[in-house]
Amino acid sequence: MAATSRTARPFLTRTTSENTYANGAGLAGSSAPNRASLSSFPPSSRSASQMSQASRPSRSPQPPTGVMSETDRASNPSSKSKTASTGTGVSSQHSSLSAGAGRRSNPNARPARKLRSQYPRGSTENHVEYILVASFDIDRGPVMEHQYPIAITGDEHMLAELMLPDQAHVRNQDWTIFFLHKDTSQEEDDQERRAKQERRQRRKRKRDREKGIIHESDDEDEDDDDDLDGDDWDDDDESTDSEPEGGEGPPLIYVLNLVNTKQDKTPLLLLALEEYFKSPVPETLAMLFDAVNQMDLSLMPKLSLLERHLLQQSENKDLFVEKFEQMIQMRIAEDRGEGVADQPFDASQDPPKRPGITRSGTKAHIEGQATYAVPRDTHEFESKVMYKGIPIPIKVPVAVMPETVGDFSLIKLIQNFSDGHAKSPQSFPLHPHLTTNGANTHPIIVLVNALLTQKRVIFLGHNMPSGEVAEAVLAACALASGGILRGFTRHAFPYTDLTKIDDLLNVPGFIAGVTNPTFENHPEWWDLLCDLPSGKMKISSRIEQAPITEGLVYFQQQNPAHAGLVNISSSSSSSNSNSANSDLTGDAAFMADIMRSIATRAGERVIRAKWRDWVVKFTRVAAAFEESVYGASALYIGSDDQEVVTTAGSGPVGAGGGHGYVWCDEASKAKELAGNVTRIEGWRNTRSYYSFIQDVAQLYTVRPLKGLDLHHMHDRLRTQRLSPMQSKEIYFAFCRYVHSYDEICLLLSVAPESHAGLFYIALGLFHKEREVRLRTADLLERIGDHEAGQHWWKALSRFEKFQYLRIKKEAEAEMRLRLEKENQTGAATTGGVGVGMGMGMGMGMGSSMGSMGSMGMGFSPVETRRIS
Amino acid sequence: MGNGMSLPSFLGKLFGSREVRILMLGLDAAGKTTILYGLKVNQQVTTIPTVGFNVETVTIKNVKFNVWDVGGQDKIRPLWRHYYSGTQGLIFVVDSADRARIEEARTELHRIINDREMKDSLLLVLANKQDIEGAMKPQEVIEKLQLSKIKDKVWFVQPTIATEGDGLQQAFQWLSDNTKEKGKK
Repeated sequence: MAATSRTARPFLTRTTSENTYANGAGLAGSSAPNRASLSSFPPSSRSASQMSQASRPSRSPQPPTGVMSETDRASNPSSKSKTASTGTGVSSQHSSLSAGAGRRSNPNARPARKLRSQYPRGSTENHVEYILVASFDIDRGPVMEHQYPIAITGDEHMLAELMLPDQAHVRNQDWTIFFLHKDTSQEEDDQERRAKQERRQRRKRKRDREKGIIHESDDEDEDDDDDLDGDDWDDDDESTDSEPEGGEGPPLIYVLNLVNTKQDKTPLLLLALEEYFKSPVPETLAMLFDAVNQMDLSLMPKLSLLERHLLQQSENKDLFVEKFEQMIQMRIAEDRGEGVADQPFDASQDPPKRPGITRSGTKAHIEGQATYAVPRDTHEFESKVMYKGIPIPIKVPVAVMPETVGDFSLIKLIQNFSDGHAKSPQSFPLHPHLTTNGANTHPIIVLVNALLTQKRVIFLGHNMPSGEVAEAVLAACALASGGILRGFTRHAFPYTDLTKIDDLLNVPGFIAGVTNPTFENHPEWWDLLCDLPSGKMKISSRIEQAPITEGLVYFQQQNPAHAGLVNISSSSSSSNSNSANSDLTGDAAFMADIMRSIATRAGERVIRAKWRDWVVKFTRVAAAFEESVYGASALYIGSDDQEVVTTAGSGPVGAGGGHGYVWCDEASKAKELAGNVTRIEGWRNTRSYYSFIQDVAQLYTVRPLKGLDLHHMHDRLRTQRLSPMQSKEIYFAFCRYVHSYDEICLLLSVAPESHAGLFYIALGLFHKEREVRLRTADLLERIGDHEAGQHWWKALSRFEKFQYLRIKKEAEAEMRLRLEKENQTGAATTGGVGVGMGMGMGMGMGSSMGSMGSMGMGFSPVETRRIS
Repeated sequence: MGNGMSLPSFLGKLFGSREVRILMLGLDAAGKTTILYGLKVNQQVTTIPTVGFNVETVTIKNVKFNVWDVGGQDKIRPLWRHYYSGTQGLIFVVDSADRARIEEARTELHRIINDREMKDSLLLVLANKQDIEGAMKPQEVIEKLQLSKIKDKVWFVQPTIATEGDGLQQAFQWLSDNTKEKGKK
């Protein structure tokens, strides 16, 4: 160990020299030159133009806060619409039209609820709760060195082990993440107040004290590389939005553990670590703790669940930029001492394009010295941490879905296990839950199946930094979750090692990352081993066989024609089954599409959106399976009464009503179910299945348009050949029920830009019945005014926009004509028009129902307002 | 086609190339990592305490030794057992100059070789650090470790100086010879 002292000496000398440096607390402030180069937030530098803007009186009354009800809509608040923002040449005519109509309002362009910050100023919630430092002692192994501000409860030694990954001694830099399950027996927050904190710890090796080398790991929270952080900032409690995320049990503590720092790109960690080595005392940690917790995220708007879905699915960098602008305006107003905080923000105000609010990174922003800036990309909020006077830029994702933790890449994960498969397909031993497409099932599908059916999955990265292993685990969680399902990260061990094996084996179904190849020699520890360096997956020889379940038997009894397609046989007998070749699940085609997208350089967001679609589809197929086999499913909640309203007038083939996944015919449904039976049955007993049921139930309580499956209806437009009558009913249902901000969000979420956007809805502009065309035009107008919908509107083709205009003009002309007529006769009133409309609709929809009259009357007030 | 595929392994057998899985254990600071990398890169390396494990493949005279070197701090010794299965040869490294801990070493060694999963493994004890004055000679190590008590196990003690590489070739030659015999049986 002679060498030890050699490496140690430089550190010793540094330590002494630095103590003086570190003790000079004033030093932090004096490094001001650094600060000037980046934008900072001195409140005094507000520009004159901002002042004038802020003092401008709002143009319209404020809509009431709270959810808009049908009656609110009908009462027609008089605020002026911001139609000008609908964009393109169309908009000018569009706005003139609405001006002419004079009565159309847009309370629904923006959410009725008050815009709030994800991390309000003055909130007591810290970004970081603890900072831990562990080191590897030459005699004692891993030991906890410091805990700040207070000691975390639990087994210190276990924590220290977790913080020091295997083979840390051969690596200069590494990071891991781990989750601690917080004991909430005392804090009974129903609404998942998730205390999350991340912490990162890094550690520098080869540090020496009298005894030899001590590996220090000091962790700091803080995110460092631009995106690393992303995850940690999850949404805080949802109670205010009344959007429960589901009973997840006690909150997890996210511990981001940074190990080593030598080539750390992230200045904050580097600085903090150096500081710690200079003076390894709690005060150093305190400085870091305070710096991180002072990071200002108060201008980051809080999005609703639907809004987050839209943002995550969209590539659009401007989506919801209005919210950021509103946040800034509110702040400006606050700064001026107005008690704006108490007033709901005026939802109908024009989108604030102030000279003072510029886009971050733009020329105007850099030149203009603006105080506030909206982010370049609304997916990321830019902030900074001032550490020792040095501003360290931080980007925080605005919309984070459950189960999305950390900075990972689905693309990287998929490619890692696809490239080898593409060259020489790997032949798996058959397992009904896993090899849903036979022995040559794509490895990524095997992985997802394993996660869905709660198998024990291990990612092994021998000779890899533990950070890479952790990344794969986090990516796998996100893959299986799709932002829809939960329970994966909760049982994920992004990095673990042999010290935890006994505990690990007590967890039924886990996802763990390891670097120790000895795991491969223990097939009794895992069901699926994913070897990262070779890109090969291995199904354990010791995996438990899938039981033959009731659902499977029922399915086969009900569908004798398709029973043979089910991949139950785990023996070689199924090798001759056609399920291997015919891609019943559609997964082979799906993976081919994914690979094509990656090859054509589609971004991470695109791939994540596709996976989300896959997971959504899986849950919908599962719901359909349960309904057909068990007669009922808890995976879908719809109330019959509402469906009745929608299906009013529908015959045997109800158009407006119905729910669930849509197949083009019964045979393809049976085939797809046959392909999915085994994994659905495997999923039915898992944590993610039960928490999904909880989530569905909870979401139901807050979601708009209960009992109306917009997704189903939109899918029918998309995939089925419908008669004009059938499509009319769907269009009518859309037009009738989709009004409020949230309702439009919901519609947009089933028609994502990445698919065809509004294409299928806009087809209603070409429907053979005039009434459908008119109402679709109205619907599109509402969408065009919508904060998010405007972007969908802009993506419509010229042809569709032209048709829209034509319809609007026609309607206008006709109305003018009618008004003239009325003036001449002096008899008709608008009420008359309304009744007329109601009747017309009754004709269309009610033919088979016989309740024409009541329908007509029921809807006439609404119709009057909209059409006249 | 089938013949073509099998040719490389056939050649391998012809020239006696085979793989042997070796587990190297011992108290902390006995010199395990130094031995491993001394063999691997054929020169003295500076090591620091092993966090977890090292594993390297060392080829000596057509025998591929897959050597696992596992950290020796007492707190992490319970993990050793996870490496047992499939081990053909155990190398137990002793700091011959550390008389104070030779008892501890003996306890650990007997605990290992009494494990069911290690019953077929060879035992090679390296009496390391022979360059230090006053180091125990092999005979003394045999006595202190009570190796003569061991039944049903092939064992051997080799004096080594890991930092110089002394004795390592002989040690692995012994492993090579004995695993070969076993293979032939």
